[in-house]
Amino acid sequence: MNKRLVVSAAFVVIVIIVVISFSSYYFTILETQQIAQDRFIAAQQKAQQEFENGSPVLGSESATITIIEFGDYQCEACYHWFHNTRSTLIDNYIETGKAKLIFVDLPFLGRDSPIAAQASYCAEDQGKYWEYHTILYTFQDGPPDSGWADRDRLNSFAFSLDMNIDEFNECMDSSKYKKRVKANYDEAVKNGANSTPTFIIISQDGAIEKFAGAQPYPVFASMIESML
Amino acid sequence: MFVPLSIISEFLFVEPFIIFHVSEDRVISFVLMVSISLMSAIVIPMNIYRIRTLQKSTAKIGGSIAGSIIGASAGICSCGPIGFSIISTFGTVAGTATAFLTNYEIPLRLASLALLCLVYYTTVKSISIECKIQ
Repeated sequence: MNKRLVVSAAFVVIVIIVVISFSSYYFTILETQQIAQDRFIAAQQKAQQEFENGSPVLGSESATITIIEFGDYQCEACYHWFHNTRSTLIDNYIETGKAKLIFVDLPFLGRDSPIAAQASYCAEDQGKYWEYHTILYTFQDGPPDSGWADRDRLNSFAFSLDMNIDEFNECMDSSKYKKRVKANYDEAVKNGANSTPTFIIISQDGAIEKFAGAQPYPVFASMIESML
Repeated sequence: MFVPLSIISEFLFVEPFIIFHVSEDRVISFVLMVSISLMSAIVIPMNIYRIRTLQKSTAKIGGSIAGSIIGASAGICSCGPIGFSIISTFGTVAGTATAFLTNYEIPLRLASLALLCLVYYTTVKSISIECKIQ
């Protein structure tokens, strides 16, 4: 009788220990997942808040990696990055939903730089931000302020994208986005960008990597793969 | 000279990894940069030797240093940290100057290379005359 009681008690104790251990393990996993989820949300919110004045997001909003590019439309290095690296990055990470790209203006190279940035946001009003962004980097020609991005050319770019020119002119004349471009400049400087292009890559858990220059695709691939 | 020039001209990146990259559209610029580095490495020591050993005038080393400086500064990207700090401090005039260095990079580097070749030629000629055993 006593022996049976001892065995039963031992069994009950073992079951209790197993249940407690399992519960503890389960709650630890839940807690870890919750922390990861909180970090992810915090990282996303941080990116959205800090760079809310930047471009619309290119790629999926739910992508785990956020790439921030600080650039100037008159910057030659940005032109090289755009034509040598960006398209492969888009094919392999943006279009596959792994990463998203936000462009933040750091217009410092000349008087046409902030105007071109404002024009890109006027294009955004007509749903053509990224098309306008592409056309600016496609037709970059000559030194800063040489006229390739003056008001007439900006208008002709808008015209070639079938935008409403009256609406575009009204937007440009009102300098509607002057403050937005200035806010982007300030945000870029606050984030330590002192050259263009500068990149910040934010991972799912909020880890941040920053580097500058028109670096080749393998650098981006390696950084993103290590953060996924 | 090659390493700092490569960094300034954005051929060599040290962050986040050390990586050397010459894109197809910048091959000429890279070849000129290598040529200037090589010529500077030959001409400047030759002139230092000439001044120290033969106690000759410093005119030629001036030419070689000028050639090297022109060649080096021609590669400074106005988009880079140097350009950013210059433009932020001195405004649009500095912006125009750095843009000139960036956009006329190839002609400036060719001019620099021509100057270094001229200095090399005159230095070799001068050393062979000055060192001639009578």
